[in-house]
Amino acid sequence: MITQYHRPLTLDEAIALTARPDVVIIAGGTSVNADPDRSPVTAVDLQALDLAGIDTDGESVRIGATTHLQDLVDSALVPAVLRDLARREAPNTIRNAATVGGTIGAVDSESELLAGLLAFGATVTLAHAGSTTEHALDEILDEPTLLNGGIMTSVSIPSNGLAAADRTGRTPMDRPIVMAVAHRDNAGAVRLAMTGIASRPMLVDPEQVASLNPPSDFRGSSDYRKSIAGVLAGRVLATVTGGGSA
Amino acid sequence: MTVTLTINGQRRSLECEPFESLRTVLRRAGYHSVRYGSDTGETGAAAVLVDGLLISADVMLAVQADGHDIETIEGLSVPGRLHPIQQAFIETGAIQSGYSTPATILAAKALIARNPDPSEDEVRDALSGILDRETGYLRPVHAVLRAAAVMRGDDTDSIDIAYLDSLLDGEGTSADHDEPSEIAPRVVPSSDVPETRIVGKPETKVDALKLAKGNPAFTDDVDLSGTLIAKVLYSPHAHARIVSIDDSKARALAGVRAVLHHGNVPRVRYASGGQSYPNPLPYDQVSFDDKVRFVGDRVAAVAADTEEIALAAIDLIDVTYEVLPAVFDENEAILDGAPVIHDEPDMEGAHDASRNIVHHLKADTGDIEEGFAVADRVFEQTVRVHQVHATPIEPHIAISAWDSDERLVITSSTQVPFHVRRMIAPLLGLPVKQIRIIKPRIGGGFGVKQEMLVEDIVAHLTMATGKPVRLELTREEEFVSSRTRHPQTTTFKTGVDADGKLTAQEMRIVANTGPYGTHGLTVQMVTGLRGLSSYNAPLKRFDCRVAYTNIPVPGAYRGYGAPQALYALEVHMDDIAFALGMDPIEFRRLNWTGVGDPLDIAQQLGEGDQDADIMPLVTSCGLEEAVVQGQRAVDWSRRNDPAWKEPADRPNIRRGLGFAMMMHGTAIPGLDMGGASLKINDDGSFNLLVGATDLGTGSDTVLAQIAAEVVGVGTDDIIVYASDTDMTPFDTGAYASSTTYISGMATKRAAEQVREQIVARAAEMLEVGASSVDLYEGRAWVPDGRSVSLETIALSTLHQAGQHQIMATASYVSPESPPPYAAQFAEIEVDIETGQVTVNQLVMAVDCGVPINPITAAGQVEGGMVQALGYGHCEEMVYDEDGRMLNPSFGPYKIYRADEMPRLEAILVQTMEASGPFGAKAIAEIPKDGVAPAIRNAIADATGVRIANIPFTPERVWNALQQA
Repeated sequence: MITQYHRPLTLDEAIALTARPDVVIIAGGTSVNADPDRSPVTAVDLQALDLAGIDTDGESVRIGATTHLQDLVDSALVPAVLRDLARREAPNTIRNAATVGGTIGAVDSESELLAGLLAFGATVTLAHAGSTTEHALDEILDEPTLLNGGIMTSVSIPSNGLAAADRTGRTPMDRPIVMAVAHRDNAGAVRLAMTGIASRPMLVDPEQVASLNPPSDFRGSSDYRKSIAGVLAGRVLATVTGGGSA
Repeated sequence: MTVTLTINGQRRSLECEPFESLRTVLRRAGYHSVRYGSDTGETGAAAVLVDGLLISADVMLAVQADGHDIETIEGLSVPGRLHPIQQAFIETGAIQSGYSTPATILAAKALIARNPDPSEDEVRDALSGILDRETGYLRPVHAVLRAAAVMRGDDTDSIDIAYLDSLLDGEGTSADHDEPSEIAPRVVPSSDVPETRIVGKPETKVDALKLAKGNPAFTDDVDLSGTLIAKVLYSPHAHARIVSIDDSKARALAGVRAVLHHGNVPRVRYASGGQSYPNPLPYDQVSFDDKVRFVGDRVAAVAADTEEIALAAIDLIDVTYEVLPAVFDENEAILDGAPVIHDEPDMEGAHDASRNIVHHLKADTGDIEEGFAVADRVFEQTVRVHQVHATPIEPHIAISAWDSDERLVITSSTQVPFHVRRMIAPLLGLPVKQIRIIKPRIGGGFGVKQEMLVEDIVAHLTMATGKPVRLELTREEEFVSSRTRHPQTTTFKTGVDADGKLTAQEMRIVANTGPYGTHGLTVQMVTGLRGLSSYNAPLKRFDCRVAYTNIPVPGAYRGYGAPQALYALEVHMDDIAFALGMDPIEFRRLNWTGVGDPLDIAQQLGEGDQDADIMPLVTSCGLEEAVVQGQRAVDWSRRNDPAWKEPADRPNIRRGLGFAMMMHGTAIPGLDMGGASLKINDDGSFNLLVGATDLGTGSDTVLAQIAAEVVGVGTDDIIVYASDTDMTPFDTGAYASSTTYISGMATKRAAEQVREQIVARAAEMLEVGASSVDLYEGRAWVPDGRSVSLETIALSTLHQAGQHQIMATASYVSPESPPPYAAQFAEIEVDIETGQVTVNQLVMAVDCGVPINPITAAGQVEGGMVQALGYGHCEEMVYDEDGRMLNPSFGPYKIYRADEMPRLEAILVQTMEASGPFGAKAIAEIPKDGVAPAIRNAIADATGVRIANIPFTPERVWNALQQA
């Protein structure tokens, strides 16, 4: 439960506020504000920092951390597969507030967009007091404490390559039970990421799909998830290596 | 803190706490159109425009919005005028309860501002964040497209009925017609239906204005100063004794006004189902008990000055439980040695509480074994249906207060205000005359509000504190502590002779009523009635045990036992046809009931006061027409097209079509009663006062059309008020598909008496005999062309001569329950590698007699099919091993949203039902009955796999495919 609220006007001010122990960072706030936890926290709202926007240098696309998911959906600079994953991340009432940085910070265990960003090999830029660091998204998801004491400013992805995604859910727009997304860069390197096979979206070695040990829940047992993980991974890999784009 | 918001163009400074949502602060500031659906943003009922973007105000803090522009629908709503989007929503029939309509209209506004010419997909995406449990999204989507066209200056057609030719009359086929617009109600007319002026026309809803504008209309819009907030402490255990409750810390908290529990509330037995007097047994509940029987059962209730204080007080109540073993499955609950759920000595009316058997129902039409003995083949099949929730977007909410006469006034979102008044009186120790129940608009009910669920809590708290008290369930509380659909295990056994005719049909059931028997008897009576009335069999037998378990409480949910029965039946009939090598529709046609056939099991499974010597018969039936209309609409011939069923370009896909036949009831004969009162005003308009409760179905409009037809005015000259126990005649309430038929006939009778009074005065004024006067277009006419207006007649009778109030009150109870019939078709595809089923199209052709309002009738079918789709495809309440619900929020509990819908088509096949008002039968519940079996049978058509149980989630289908 948010008991104090700050809206810093500069990045330095925001970074200084993150030193407090009870801080939560708010971008869109759609995750934080849905949290029923009633213990007191201090909110640091990034809306006044000028962190939103999408641009490209031809090689990569830089997405500002507070860019709304709807802006990803609408941007011609963002690869089509990622735009669709952003659309699938949430309905429009949420996409107009939720942000790319918030999606990374909140780590929804079944986020299709996070899986997409992993497959695209996204890098995350963090601003600290007096310095800036870059990390692979995978590294941040492995070690979320890397975010402590800093403010995420942007996410970058390559603007080239081929990508494909597929999924199985109860209904067409349901959070998938298992989902696979693959990206092949111009050099031919293929990256595969999946949801529904671990406690968070994961990069998966295409050779190791058969050795996954997914967790069970009421929508899918471990054995079922493992089986369709193979099917979906096979489909998206065939699409990116066969030359088509899904 | 103070935030400054520009709301609808006005700068306002508002006080708020840092944790308060924008929704909370806007509602407190008087923007009632921003509505509660959940705390986590997923319903969209609270969506507003923030700097022009549609955002769920549940999950935005008011402080986040500081400095921003906010737009609510109040900003569009100028008195006396409608915005083109509001107009389009009204014209297309896009509004049912209207609870989330303001948010939907704002979504449209934002979309059209960005994109004046959106595609249907873009509209569906724009509505994707606003869950709609009522319309099936078809009409809202087309309302947005229409509004965009109007705002672009394009011409739009009026929404007229698309009349389809009968396909049974030889020559006529509809194939040459242009396809009508998707929202034009499709009607197959019947030549024996008399001409009418108002009835049968697509009139706009009488309550549409307030709903389209987001005016205060719902329970939560009642603002009483000093209202305390109630919160309930719910059981964390599925089965436990309360050893002790220490409420001292909670009472000591500043701002806490009362803490109630079994130690300080009188122990009065009742059954919570909203039903006629005397309520069916068992009486197995008390307001607060010393035992809890499911996770979500009541333990204590608090009233406090604020929600935060109430929640803090709940946390401070120390309860010591003795946890008991629990049982959740109905078949295990009735085994020897199962935990006994009701062991208290004062419970009344269970068949055998020591074995958890609440009821053991039996009925037969003779010796069933004789029927099996003469059969050529006997088929037996068992299926289990699971537990789902109605999930109205407006949760249960009630506000109680003492009025100036020290009478207790409870405003409640209830389908049964009169039952609540009678049932609550003994719990409170007050006479009925000291209680008034007011039902404002209801934000969806679907049966779950046919219950006295929260009213006794607020009433006890008002009596304890003397103050107004408000209790609104959260979304999670709505899931776990309100009411659900009964799970049950059903076995059908059917004998068939060599010609494919049934010789005997038996239905054996173990039903799960959870820990309380509310509706447990009558839901199962309906299950038996529906399961054993659809097809002719010379011999029938019904045997049903209803079990107590420790799951959240099943109760009334639209369909009321019929979806369970017809799922089992229509799976069984499809599989028999398959086993016999017969066409699934031809086999059914040999056996389904039609005009003149007896409804023999109904004599033993009726609730009401019926004459046992009179065999109820089917009096009208449009099933044959419905089936062929549906076959044409869904292109049933594709079942025989291998290229369609196995598309060459998608090797993992199989396609299929499935069918289910449905038959429902229309009200409870000999029991359901409705009353109506009609009086004329000075200007020739009328007040229609009814006890009936419009849940969003449009029943107030239907009743207004009936009255308007009889007294010869337009629907806009009928002002409907419903329902208020002080002001309106009695009505049993909105359930059992009864309002059009029962309350409609009461309205018709009252209107006919009023008509006589008007005609008498008109005859005097025009100096003719009464028999030559006709009423239409607001005037009384005589054959020579002279006329006098109803206004003149009203002024004459009220002010000038022989003064009297032209008015009448009438009521109605029906001796019969004429069944509506329908044909349900589903088109699906299955990914055979993953088990994922995608439903592409649902078509339902239904005989509801004469639809009084084809637009609202079509809306009932479209929305009902989508609820039924959830039942068959994706909705399920899931529990851990301790009985705790794992998915009490939307998303994990999956209901369909606008951007993932199958195509929907409703076809209204007229029949003239002589017993109904202007030929009407029911339509509200029958759309719930056939979708699940039609999908199941379509999966069988696509893959050859015949699955027993719903819902058809990917893993269930995949498992079945693996085993095939």
